[in-house]
Amino acid sequence: MGPDDLLLIVMLSALTVYALLGGADFGAGVWEFITVLRASDKERQHIYKAIGPVWEANHVWLIFVLVILMNGFPLAFAALSRALWLPLLMALCGIVFRGASFAFRSYGQESYRERKLWEAVFAIASTATPLFLGASAGAVASGKLAITVTGFYEADYLSGWLSPLAVFSGFYMIGLCAFLAAVYLFREADQANDMELVELWRQRSLLTGIGMGGGALGGLILVWLEAPSLTGGFAARGWPLIILSIGCGIGSLIEVWRFRSKRAVGAATGAVAAVIWGWGISQYPAIIPPVITSDVAKAPDNVLWIMLAVILTGAALLLPALGYLFVLFKSRP
Amino acid sequence: MNMIATTTANLLPARLQMAFTLGFHIVLACLGVGMPVLMLAAEWRFLKTGDELWRTLARRWSKAFAVLFAVGAVTGTVLSFELGLLWPEFIGRWGAVIGLPFTLEGFAFFLEAIFAGIYLYGWDRLPKHVHWMTGLPVAISGFLSAFFVVTANSWMNNPTGFRLVDGKLVDVEPIRAMFNVGTGAQTTHMLVAAYLVTGFCVASFYAVRIAKGSGHEYDRRALTLSLLLALPFAPVQAFVGDWSAKVVAKSQPIKLAAMEGLFETQRRAPLHIGGIPDLAARKLNYAIAIPGGLSWLAYGDINAEVKGLNEFPAIDTPPVAVVHFAFQIMVGIGTFMMCVALWCGIVYCKTRAWPRSRFFLWSIVALGPLSILAMETGWVVTEVGRQPWIVHGYMRTTEAVTQAPGVWNLFCATLAIYLVIGVGTVAVLRQLARLPLPEQKHGA
Repeated sequence: MGPDDLLLIVMLSALTVYALLGGADFGAGVWEFITVLRASDKERQHIYKAIGPVWEANHVWLIFVLVILMNGFPLAFAALSRALWLPLLMALCGIVFRGASFAFRSYGQESYRERKLWEAVFAIASTATPLFLGASAGAVASGKLAITVTGFYEADYLSGWLSPLAVFSGFYMIGLCAFLAAVYLFREADQANDMELVELWRQRSLLTGIGMGGGALGGLILVWLEAPSLTGGFAARGWPLIILSIGCGIGSLIEVWRFRSKRAVGAATGAVAAVIWGWGISQYPAIIPPVITSDVAKAPDNVLWIMLAVILTGAALLLPALGYLFVLFKSRP
Repeated sequence: MNMIATTTANLLPARLQMAFTLGFHIVLACLGVGMPVLMLAAEWRFLKTGDELWRTLARRWSKAFAVLFAVGAVTGTVLSFELGLLWPEFIGRWGAVIGLPFTLEGFAFFLEAIFAGIYLYGWDRLPKHVHWMTGLPVAISGFLSAFFVVTANSWMNNPTGFRLVDGKLVDVEPIRAMFNVGTGAQTTHMLVAAYLVTGFCVASFYAVRIAKGSGHEYDRRALTLSLLLALPFAPVQAFVGDWSAKVVAKSQPIKLAAMEGLFETQRRAPLHIGGIPDLAARKLNYAIAIPGGLSWLAYGDINAEVKGLNEFPAIDTPPVAVVHFAFQIMVGIGTFMMCVALWCGIVYCKTRAWPRSRFFLWSIVALGPLSILAMETGWVVTEVGRQPWIVHGYMRTTEAVTQAPGVWNLFCATLAIYLVIGVGTVAVLRQLARLPLPEQKHGA
């Protein structure tokens, strides 16, 4: 196992945390979107209180994935930037509006109408961002991006991420965010002992959970039809994780059903994490299948070792701080 | 053929896009570096004196910081994506050499975001001394973020830490790349600028309120704290700027020539004040020239030879007029800043109070926007002065630019989006500023 493999593990871990924590934050906005902003003030307060202290820290995981890719696998970063030019720009637009509107909504002292406006922007942007990020991930997973081994892109700027699998991934990502948010908020309502909110988020968890389960089945069929290389990877290496994911998914539904919020959070987390790792392991050593592999894209080994040293040192500072943040705001009602 | 046509056509909108988004973000970045210092100072006064008014001030500032930090976080995200989206060839080729500061910056930003969350939401949750201490990492990591990012820029101006063999990168040394000849001067120049911008912008805001007749203790304290941050740095910046110019003279003589509008290579080169460069006639018109001034500033010897623009091929020359004007504006504002600082410093030391004149207040009001202008024009000097290179001497900006379609559309959309974000930010800050103040006890 070389330094590039270690770095890929770090990157995939960061991506997983982003999908879980960042995803749940987006999901809260997705619920605002789905309910067309009809949520009661109490419900909304619950959401804003849950996101407030942590969303920026959760957002940084994305930056983290990005800089590791830029520094450790520069060719892959360049290739992705070229091939996914449009969806990444759209996602960026969503990121800008989500962050800004949340801050304006939280700190503004404005009139009711202005507040409603920023709430709407927040809801739309929170839904659009996972759509485009999901579509980008789906485009990568499909293995059909026409990228050369030198990192150049040789196709038009729509077909890559508008393939059925990519579009499906976009919408699936929205659902996943909504599901994660529902389970996490279920947990927080449970901690706060608010039965009304517990029931609301329990129902929503069940609803989206079942939807995601059905969707996952459809997703596997799409992968099988559209992405033969990924199917091969699943069959060869990734299958235990896919089974784990399905098991965790079913488990999370059972735990939600039985009002065991802590276990439900654990199982839902496991379900999402297992999908991401299943994907990563199945397409290894490709970063952007088929041609951009770790070997093609990686920086010289000494650079990777320095990065790993930095990451290890940084993690020693960061993880306790992050733990403090979450203990402070997430363990007490 | 087609490819080359796209590349050239994309160059202008891509550069405008980068310049605009960077120029926007950098204001927020400066305030993100400086504001934590101010709010910590105010909270420190509260801890020492127990005076609630200090706490109110710190808390208000922390809210303003929260908004600025949130918007800065997302506009910063835009920039990190843009490095790849607009300049894929740059990152694809040089990412291994110069990615390290971005990785480090990722960590610094992470720590900043974590502790910002704790500090901002912890006012009522944490013991007051602990709360103050959770603000320290915010200030420190803001400082480090700025440092790391600027090392990357400094490398683009002074690339080192690698060798090219047959067009392939070998012997990549990322740490040497980070600590290149420009790093010391450029990072110091930027960090001092960040404190100047924060100090003067905040001071400017309260100076307006005082000028409009507010006699509230709150406004006076806010003005004093922010001036205490800004004023001492004004003369410091003059020395750092001089250091920076000396580095540029050595490492990028063509940039210095453009800054000064110096066409002829000469000994005892004059320092130009003002002037309009005439590219056709290859001379600078209407400038005040101080004989030997440039030679002395650049090399510490009035008889030193300074290279002029004529020494270099036209294809390597940056846009002279832009660089020259920007440099003149920056230096002009810096000089004004220093004069105000010296005047205030003398008065403050003598009387323990700021000057009482209207002129003083209005100078401070003006220095808010002027400090931003100075910082932005400074970046214009650095960045436009580096053209036509993206990596000085190694890669031209035309080689790096994206070949994607619609960059002009992107730029227009970005202008519109940032306008909305900018207006929203100002509106929220104004609303925060209008919050009623606590009753004044002594009627001062």
